[in-house]
Amino acid sequence: MRHRIEYGPAFAWLRLRLNAGESIDTEAGSMIARTPSIGMTTRLNAGRSVGVLSWLWSLIVALSRKFLGGETMFINTFTAQDDGELALAPALGGDIVRRRLTPNLPPLIVQTGSYLASAPGVSAELMWSGLRGLLSREGLFFLRCTGEGDLFICAHGGITEIECRGGYVVDTGHIVAFEASLDYEIGAAGSGIKGLVASGEGLVCTFSGVGRIWIQSRNIQAFATWLNPNL
Amino acid sequence: MHIDVRHRPAESVAHVKMNAGESIRAESGAMLAMVGGIKVETNGPASSGGLLKSLKRKVLGAESFFTNTFKATDNDAAVWLAPRLPGDMVVHEVNSSHELMVQGGSFVAAPMSVSIDTRFEGLGGLFSGEGLFFLKIHGHGPVVLNAFGAIDAIDLDGELIVDTGHLVAFTSGVGYTVQKAADDWLTSLLSGEGLVLHLKGKGRVYLQTRNPDEYGKAAGRHLAPIEH
Repeated sequence: MRHRIEYGPAFAWLRLRLNAGESIDTEAGSMIARTPSIGMTTRLNAGRSVGVLSWLWSLIVALSRKFLGGETMFINTFTAQDDGELALAPALGGDIVRRRLTPNLPPLIVQTGSYLASAPGVSAELMWSGLRGLLSREGLFFLRCTGEGDLFICAHGGITEIECRGGYVVDTGHIVAFEASLDYEIGAAGSGIKGLVASGEGLVCTFSGVGRIWIQSRNIQAFATWLNPNL
Repeated sequence: MHIDVRHRPAESVAHVKMNAGESIRAESGAMLAMVGGIKVETNGPASSGGLLKSLKRKVLGAESFFTNTFKATDNDAAVWLAPRLPGDMVVHEVNSSHELMVQGGSFVAAPMSVSIDTRFEGLGGLFSGEGLFFLKIHGHGPVVLNAFGAIDAIDLDGELIVDTGHLVAFTSGVGYTVQKAADDWLTSLLSGEGLVLHLKGKGRVYLQTRNPDEYGKAAGRHLAPIEH
């Protein structure tokens, strides 16, 4: 499978070249164009699980992903019956970045709205982010991505990769993804209530440890807050 | 006349340079600035043919009812044009060898040597939600097209399946059929793709990397409900 990300950072799209037999999982609704040799199947966005009531669990997970995670419920898998091409893009404006996952690397924690596509060897598990998630305003769930293969993430705005060595503080609305080797804590940017309200920064995430963080240069919440009074 | 597009693909603007006697017709509201001797005339929509055809274009073609014609009275006059939505613009030269089908809403400007007709694509368009209303453009001269997102130009010789909301324009050598995204209706609905266009033939196809409807729905989720 070969890929090309074009027209970044504002309106990036992902162009894939699949060989016969290869397939890719994608966020539902993200397809722009494909050659007819590529077929599409759809399944619930709940990871692959086996078991007697797995369909029920899949439905619950998929529903929670939709209503709490901001993602659509379904994953489209495109499989090439013959060599072909596929173009994908997210709905909002912004950049796309590829991360190649291997079993040696720490798992990648991805904000649910930032998932675009992944190779079949990658598993994207819905993860409950605990009480910290309640405060983060980004949603209670993250995707925990492990396995082997390409993972494509998208963002609102341009994507910057940061190497955290020790500590880094990131506004919660700007986090796209980070490696699970990092520890994090969510709190106010300024000090006390005044800090929370007056600084205009809201909540921040303080990372500690060693690992990579991906941030986005725009924040859809901030944009909506600006837009609302103008409607 | 010389047209060049700058600041592609996100915040594109078209610079149209004209000499005395030349004129360009643009969708209303597209003008940012002009310099030199330019006379502006507001007319009914660009298509030839009566009121009924004009109304059809307004209701079905998503273009505004009026267009403005900018006529240069001096040499080296210029007009700056831009569409409302952020995104790309491209100039396509149309000539007697082909016609250009442009999705309603993607037309920005063209000189009078280019003619514009509306074309209604039948009932299939109603179900797609995108509206398969195209402007049929023919004649000779440059046509300025806009898109939401970046424009990707493909020289097609074969087949391609395209999500309807992402198709900007295509030349007459390319035929199309509307079909379900997957083999059955349920999957097509759940997949988020709905209806797609199966393109077949030889010609130029312009795609946009974003879709205004999808963007609106995705961004709209974050907005406060409007009180009435």
